[in-house]
Amino acid sequence: MTDANKKFQKELNSGIAALVLLGVLDQAKDAMYGYQIAKLIETHDEEIPMMKQGALYPVLRSLESSGLLESFVNPSVSGPPRRYYNITESGRETLIRWMEIWDRTKGFVDRILEGKADV
Amino acid sequence: MYRDVRDYLEKLKRELEGADPALIQDALSDAEGHLRTALEEESVRTLGLSETKALESIIEKYGTPSEVASAYRAIESRIPPVLAATRPQDSRSLWARFFGVLAEARAWGAFSYMLLALFTGIIFGGWTLLGGLISACSLLFIIGLPIFGLFLLSIRGIALLEGRIVEALLGIRMPRKPLFLDRSLGWADKFKALVTDAYSWKSFLYAVLLFPLGIVYYGVFGLLFVLSLSFITSPVLELVFHIPLDLFGDNVFTPVWFLPVVCIAGFFLLPLTFHFAKFIGKIHGRFAKSMLVRK
Repeated sequence: MTDANKKFQKELNSGIAALVLLGVLDQAKDAMYGYQIAKLIETHDEEIPMMKQGALYPVLRSLESSGLLESFVNPSVSGPPRRYYNITESGRETLIRWMEIWDRTKGFVDRILEGKADV
Repeated sequence: MYRDVRDYLEKLKRELEGADPALIQDALSDAEGHLRTALEEESVRTLGLSETKALESIIEKYGTPSEVASAYRAIESRIPPVLAATRPQDSRSLWARFFGVLAEARAWGAFSYMLLALFTGIIFGGWTLLGGLISACSLLFIIGLPIFGLFLLSIRGIALLEGRIVEALLGIRMPRKPLFLDRSLGWADKFKALVTDAYSWKSFLYAVLLFPLGIVYYGVFGLLFVLSLSFITSPVLELVFHIPLDLFGDNVFTPVWFLPVVCIAGFFLLPLTFHFAKFIGKIHGRFAKSMLVRK
């Protein structure tokens, strides 16, 4: 990926990461820890990963400090203690609003790129 | 190329140089947790490979220290601590600023911290002193070593919890993630790392000092608050309900002509108490940061 493409992807990711993380945790049956979330996202990703796993952690923390996620630490048998994340009620409500915004944004960009907008 | 997890963390720390120490601690803790978990969980796939080789593909997905550092810096700039000062320039008049303190979340946060400090001081300080004494005595026997190690671990837990309280109430950025001990180390080396880490001892000292500090904070701010309220309500209490002022066991009625002065003094003492709480909160926050954040 060229530098310009990387920069564009990075700028796009800054907002998308929060939406993706809320989406993943909204669908999760149980609380998930960072590595688990990163692996799940990886399975949906293409050959060239869209976002670095290391960039997910500060977003998780930011979502938690905004009250959209809650977390707890559990010791692990095989590795270091893990921080598990759950989506909060406010997180679910926010996700619904963000999905609407995402749909509008996606539709708008598609219309422009497909040349359906009145120029 | 990274020799091992420690090498990666060193490089990440260098990339984050100049950032808030609490942010650095969080980023290192996240990275260490992820990389070690990945090494454990992918051990079957990477069987026979050296840690250096196994890490290569893990770090490719996790991001280079420079990529990860820039992600943390970018997000940190958007999420200041909850009660951190957000007003860049206060254009209010002197009076508005003086009395407006009663409407400031940060002042109430600092005041609440001062009252809560009695309980946290007793619990954290008490545990540190008592637990320290018991585990130090147990060191006379061989069984004492793990007990002492567990005690030092509990101090780290207390440091993290106190850090969360300081950040929530005093608005000072503190670590949000626990510190991990290198899992590749044996028990003896883990114990050595715990004992020789200045962070363990600074946290210990902080918890001990919180004991007397908590008592002083609670005493001073509790007294000032109650005094302000009793001054403000003294005209009503004395003239309407005939409740005298209790001065160290003596029931005294304030001369009627002096009651308005006492009442007005109460109205000034209350915001003054909150300004004082904010000031002490700021100093205590800096003290907590210097003691509870690993440099």
